[in-house]
Amino acid sequence: MKKGKKRVSLAISMLAAFSLVLSACGGGGNEAASGGEGTAEKPVDLIWYTIGTPQKDVDKVMTEVSKYTAEKIGANVTMKMIDWGDYQQKMQVLVASGEPMDIIFTSSGGFDYVQNARKGAFMELDSLIDEYGKGIKDTINPAFLEGSKVDGHNYAIPANKELPQQEVWRFNKNVADEYGIKTEGVRTLDSLEPLLKTIKDKAPGITPFAMDKNYVPYVPYDYVIQNLPMAVKLDTTDYKIVNILETPEMKEALTTMNKYYKAGYVAPEAATTGSTTDLMTSGKWLLDRAQTQPLADNSWSASYGYPVVSTPASDAIITNNSVQGSMMAISANSEYPEKAMEFLNLLNTDPVLRNMVDSGIEGTHYNKTADNRVENLPEAKNYDMPSYSLGNNMLLYLNPNDPENKWDEFETFNEAGVDSPILSFNFDPKNVSSELAAVQNVKEQFWSSLMTGTVDPETYLPQAIEKFNQAGLEKVMAEAQTQLDAWKAENNK
Amino acid sequence: MARKTKPKAIRDFQQITPAWNVIFNLIAGIFAFMCVFPFLFVVIISFTDESVLASEGYRLIPSKWSLGAYQYIFESGDTLLRAYGVTIAVTLIGTVLSLFMIALYSYAISRRNFRYRRFFSIFAILTMLFNGGIIPTYMIVAQLLGLKNSIWALVLPLAMNAFYVMILRTFYATSVPDALVESGKIDGAGEFRIFFKIIVPLSLPGLATIGLFSTLGYWNDWFNALLYIDNPNLVPLQSMLMRIESSMQFIQQNSANSNINMAAMGSLPQDTARMAMVVLATLPIIFAYPFFQRYFVQGLTLGAVKE
Amino acid sequence: MGNFLRNVSRNKALLFMVLPGAIWFFFFSYLPLAGTIVAFKEYRVSRKGFWASIFNSEWVGWDNFKFLFSTEDAFVITRNTLLYNIAFIALGLVFSVLMAIILSELVSRKMSKIYQTGMFLPYFLSWVIVGYFVFSFLSMDRGLLNQMLGWFGMEPVQWYSDPKYWPYILVFVNLWKMVGYNSVVYLAAILGIDRSLYEAAMIDGANKWQQIRRITIPMLTPIITIMTLLAVGRIFYADFGLFYQVPRDSGTLYAVTNVIDTYVYRGLMTTGEIGMSAAAGLYQSVVGFTLVILANYVVRRIDKDSSLF
Repeated sequence: MKKGKKRVSLAISMLAAFSLVLSACGGGGNEAASGGEGTAEKPVDLIWYTIGTPQKDVDKVMTEVSKYTAEKIGANVTMKMIDWGDYQQKMQVLVASGEPMDIIFTSSGGFDYVQNARKGAFMELDSLIDEYGKGIKDTINPAFLEGSKVDGHNYAIPANKELPQQEVWRFNKNVADEYGIKTEGVRTLDSLEPLLKTIKDKAPGITPFAMDKNYVPYVPYDYVIQNLPMAVKLDTTDYKIVNILETPEMKEALTTMNKYYKAGYVAPEAATTGSTTDLMTSGKWLLDRAQTQPLADNSWSASYGYPVVSTPASDAIITNNSVQGSMMAISANSEYPEKAMEFLNLLNTDPVLRNMVDSGIEGTHYNKTADNRVENLPEAKNYDMPSYSLGNNMLLYLNPNDPENKWDEFETFNEAGVDSPILSFNFDPKNVSSELAAVQNVKEQFWSSLMTGTVDPETYLPQAIEKFNQAGLEKVMAEAQTQLDAWKAENNK
Repeated sequence: MARKTKPKAIRDFQQITPAWNVIFNLIAGIFAFMCVFPFLFVVIISFTDESVLASEGYRLIPSKWSLGAYQYIFESGDTLLRAYGVTIAVTLIGTVLSLFMIALYSYAISRRNFRYRRFFSIFAILTMLFNGGIIPTYMIVAQLLGLKNSIWALVLPLAMNAFYVMILRTFYATSVPDALVESGKIDGAGEFRIFFKIIVPLSLPGLATIGLFSTLGYWNDWFNALLYIDNPNLVPLQSMLMRIESSMQFIQQNSANSNINMAAMGSLPQDTARMAMVVLATLPIIFAYPFFQRYFVQGLTLGAVKE
Repeated sequence: MGNFLRNVSRNKALLFMVLPGAIWFFFFSYLPLAGTIVAFKEYRVSRKGFWASIFNSEWVGWDNFKFLFSTEDAFVITRNTLLYNIAFIALGLVFSVLMAIILSELVSRKMSKIYQTGMFLPYFLSWVIVGYFVFSFLSMDRGLLNQMLGWFGMEPVQWYSDPKYWPYILVFVNLWKMVGYNSVVYLAAILGIDRSLYEAAMIDGANKWQQIRRITIPMLTPIITIMTLLAVGRIFYADFGLFYQVPRDSGTLYAVTNVIDTYVYRGLMTTGEIGMSAAAGLYQSVVGFTLVILANYVVRRIDKDSSLF
């Protein structure tokens, strides 16, 4: 009798191990959101992955947010933040391995929107928007929804914000004033030289030109895929896709960068530096390049705690990159896609929710000074969120320095933007996916060190071009050209 | 001639010439110094004043010394302490668990009368030859076992190791006579009783070696944390060092001491504090390893070499 | 069946002993193996989780492999992995044995112990720490090496972006980390050599050099052979930490720092090319497997007890 028992228990534990495995294989298949769930009494849990340095008070704020959303739409929200530098990588693994998630931040630069939509990472949203996202359609600038279509479908909800993308040089005003640096007349990369030189000579502890490994000199081209060397000139007439590394503009910019690097204007380890956060907190920098929006200087200054000013470095262009610059997708494996869409709808239309997500808890992180104005409390540093990535910007309360007409300025800025020639053309890499993978590998190898000026373009540029071509870049470009020509014919450009 | 049995006696009957002795001492001495020097250098950097770094770089003898880096770390110190706590917990739990699993497994497959001996030996050996790669492994740990952001994600993936199993199996097979087990059986002891009462005491040196190897493995692991840990409270030491490589943000963000004034950050010793962290993370090892040295030497000789 | 159950019951205690380990092997080694079929698929995410994604992805046969081998990458990572490992094995062996003999011949045993303890240190440090150490020497603006070049009036070198130095740096760092440990292991073997051999040799008038050549080295040969063969078996696997942490993931260095392990990792984490990355992983496994079997076969012929299986 006793013997038999033991035998059974062994069999059971083996069985248990196997059933665990089996259940995992079939797991996630059970259709959820069945009756009774998703009400204020029994809210469902939504998991939201977003970009940014994880903040200490996220869970605290999300508890408050959940109270509100449970009431409104019957959903609790858990937010998981992944740091800037890690977002792309971590999301890649999380999504590929089927980690449970409902809402995902995506953009052309961080966790690439078009590529991942095509890989099946996101749910197609057309009917969900029609059914649960009416508010979104009414509030968001139609250019965003139109410009973020992939093969004619929406896979993510873009944030309503500035539409064009404009590069600026940002200056640390304290440093600039101290060393008598004038920012007038600065626009091109070359025009920076005297300023950088002054700092290099006079202020040894200060980095003249702050950048991390993602820096790319501005050239007047629009990239077919962000950060791969295929691009179309902004004033193009023939819609020819060129290798950006072979353009005279890029060659010149890289030569200048290399000159700056050699002169010590750039941090020696720029090509392997993941972020400039340390420099920004310490304030030991003169200038860097960033993308702007109306009144950006105000928010930068507020966030760093010292004055930052900026001057334009490019025109304001509406590109795929800018239109797809901040979006929220619903994960293909979401258990509650309808609830997720209801939440996105609320986030993009409801000022209370949107501001809670952005600034935290009233009385803890901020105080309201007027109907639409807030002022940060000291605790705000435990919940300092990037506004651009969290939905409709135009619902945000104003900061103390913001003019009353802030959002009108956005509208004006949006109106003034010029369309890129290839706006809303999305390359489908299906036929060349292997080549594209190899091209990606070459890019990893050369991109950062070329772009930051770490290496001499005289020797490395030809090498990089050759390696790209060996990896099949020409084939990828030919395929892209075919698609672009077809798209051009279709759209009567 | 009684002296002959003492190892020291060897030296007496023929030594290398004094000149060669000097040369050998020099070679060994220089290499030993090279091995220790980088650590000393990092210690020096950690005591350098941040303000002179920009102008003179990492100097052997900096023009200005400072305790600032350590002061800063201890003021914002709970981040470091927590990382220490995580590493110590993971190392303790992990070592005990893996020792237990490896010892039992290898003992069973060392027993000649175990009918499935061959099957389970091969079952273990095959895992040395093939592996599934990161994504499937990640998926098992994160989803199937649900270990994401749990210290078990740092413990379990390193708990078994087929190589150690093989080493310990050989150790049992060669240093534990079958007759002992048989006599235990005749006395009516069960297998587990035999294992714990007879085998374990006999094989302590072998177990100690495996235990120390896994202690070292856990202490130095950063890869599992890279994959499975997002929660800043569960980040172990090595992984924290990786996270601060390009930005000290991690320390500032996760410090409970909110008195650190962000505006005063300009004067904070970022570079030297980083090196101070390296020093603090290495210290326990520096102090401990000389005492356990011989067990590590046994490691390879145990399995691979027979007397 | 009845026979089987009887056998299980008879061995139940020992079976219980292997159970925890066997379950671990099942979950952490065998289950992930099933995932390698993704090397033959074009990976697409499915909403039903990871396994469903793998099984529902389209079969593409050998395409991932064909492409992998049509790029230069396959050649580069194979070459790097092999050449580095060969250098590590060969130089490591020479230096370790040399150092072991030197340590064994020192007159003062106390000094010998002190040296051993010193050169043992690097073995205990993680690659993260070693990465910091190397940085303190190679940092472009602050590193000790560039300062020393400055003393001789030489231009500073951009260590982290100039590939031509890295084969030497990596070999050096690897030797730095491993030689101490290995030589102490060889030393243990030397001290285990029967002393009467030396006495006999001495009576025959052999001097110290002859003793080393005729006794020490021949007596070490078995352990040298075995350790080398074991290393040869692993020649297709690189030390991920060395190639990932020490060069600080610097892109310009990939041509000389990319090995199969880092390629697979990057394919997964940076470019997201799961199919191709899995293909590279499988290629490594298969070739590695063959080499291990081969090495083990050779070890078995030399010394049966030392073989792994």
